[in-house]
Amino acid sequence: MKYALPGCLLLASLLFAGPQDGDRNVNARYTVETVIVSGKGWTTNLQSQTTNKISTGLLHQLTAIIGQKLNPDALDTLAANLKKELNARQVTHRLVPGEAPEQVRVEFDVRPARASLGMNVNQLLYNSKQGWSGSGEAAVTVQQHIFAIGLVSNGDWLPERFSGIVARYEDKSLGTDRLSFKFEAESVRSQWNQATESALAANPQEAPALYRARLRFQPTATVVLAKPLTLTVGARIERFEDQSPAAEFEGANAAIVSLHYHQTIESPGNQQEVDADCSLHAATRVLNSDYVYAMRSAGFRYLFRSGKHIVTDNAWAGFISGQAPLSDRFVLGNTYYLRGWNKFEIDPLGGNRAVHNSVEYHYGPFQAFYDVGAVWDESQPIVARHSVGLGVRESVFSLAVAIPMRSGHVEPIFIMGILP
Amino acid sequence: MAEPSRGLQISRRGWLLASLLAPLFPARGADAPIVTFDGDNLHVSSLGVHFLRGKSLNRLKEGSTVEYVAAISLFRDQFVTLLKRTEAHFLVSYDVLGTGDVFAVSTPGPPPRKAMNLSLSATETWCLENVEISAAGIARDRQFWLQLELRAQPPKLSPVLGPEGISVDLIEVLTPGADERQTFRAGPLRLADLVRTPRKGRAG
Repeated sequence: MKYALPGCLLLASLLFAGPQDGDRNVNARYTVETVIVSGKGWTTNLQSQTTNKISTGLLHQLTAIIGQKLNPDALDTLAANLKKELNARQVTHRLVPGEAPEQVRVEFDVRPARASLGMNVNQLLYNSKQGWSGSGEAAVTVQQHIFAIGLVSNGDWLPERFSGIVARYEDKSLGTDRLSFKFEAESVRSQWNQATESALAANPQEAPALYRARLRFQPTATVVLAKPLTLTVGARIERFEDQSPAAEFEGANAAIVSLHYHQTIESPGNQQEVDADCSLHAATRVLNSDYVYAMRSAGFRYLFRSGKHIVTDNAWAGFISGQAPLSDRFVLGNTYYLRGWNKFEIDPLGGNRAVHNSVEYHYGPFQAFYDVGAVWDESQPIVARHSVGLGVRESVFSLAVAIPMRSGHVEPIFIMGILP
Repeated sequence: MAEPSRGLQISRRGWLLASLLAPLFPARGADAPIVTFDGDNLHVSSLGVHFLRGKSLNRLKEGSTVEYVAAISLFRDQFVTLLKRTEAHFLVSYDVLGTGDVFAVSTPGPPPRKAMNLSLSATETWCLENVEISAAGIARDRQFWLQLELRAQPPKLSPVLGPEGISVDLIEVLTPGADERQTFRAGPLRLADLVRTPRKGRAG
């Protein structure tokens, strides 16, 4: 609670920081005739052509200025977004006279990068029940290769709080643009909430033993089957150091397969996005795994955008057969699922069945949401829980108050921070 | 027939020495700006002072807004002990559809001022006419030194906020574009010796 007021002030200052005055550039009186983006060996006139080199979202931003009065400051932002998305060394822009009077063409020139070095804060959030969580990394990019190493401390996502080092290597184009490769590694220490320890002591059959550290390696390859459908295959090799004084090690080695579909549908005045995925993690004795289980999950997300109005629906379900380690069990009651509930109240050990749906409405930076979900074990009854919330979100900054819908004492949960 | 004066002759060794040392002594006369006094404030004439050039001029001609900063400093001695300093910011843009070189300039204020349809040299003059430093507290017979510093602000760094969190490009941060900076110095000066100009309202 003590962080809520400074958080509000920070967010308010970001929300109400006005744009630069367009009048300070004499060209602000002209209309943008078209936008042309050029790179090494390619040029796209966005008035009449499209390109698959730029994401739909950024294309939408670039084409949105065509026919509008020029905003020179917005060009700097668009150039920066192009630079980031195309991993370019430099993106410059210039205005040239258009064919019609009082109209200008905006030309972006993309110069490819040889190498870049960046610092990223991927997550920094505060949940009034789970405390702080954050992750950041330093990344070196050389052409299509990315090397990154970082730190993480997260008390939100899993039944445990895990803190340690993460690293990854990515090759975004393994011989062809249709194939990419990623290798992730994670070495973390785990801390357990007293509620989790008590629940496991009371019912040791429900979940496997606690561990004090985890070491994980995960190589995966993603192939574009048919745009926008991708298939990811790989493996996860994970080792757990038990909390017992003998400090024994157990392994969870799994094969990973997942399908992902993403489609954006543009029509005059609105935009729709469909995002769907399903995945299977199968850990078997064949892979020399001590844990034997199969985890299946599927998700579907739909977004409708019209002007400042955005409506989203996010549905997700998961099912585990066998006995998975605690880090793979499903958790609701965090910053993403069943917001407003405390995960340690719902199920301190997590569950092997879960289903969740979230509906959100955004108007500009303001948002309202309704979450419903249940997490349980196969032997337990299914209890559906609901929550509602209000908040503001600008770029990656988010501030929300979530209220669990239940009889009796109601304690809202505050969530704020950087949420990708 | 008069005998040629040997005193004006320069030997080949002299020419060689002069050509080697010439780069070490830049033309100081061209760098010294003309300072005027209107009874209250000191002004710097734009004569011989040109700052709309180089990369910043290219950025202007590509349609960007370029911010220039003009700073005047007064020194008690030869550019060591600062007496006072003032700084003014100018936002300059170039009309890409204009005929010929047509610039616009504004100051954020207070009060905000702007001028349009200016030539390159008129833009430089407008900027310098809108920067002044008070001479209050300086005795008429006291010596002082004046420094005019002009620089173009480099382009803004990429925004750090993105869909995946906060990202900072360290190469961009650690190797910023060189800001174009020029320094003009004059002195020693005395108020009593300066060209008096009538007090006038600011241009704009």
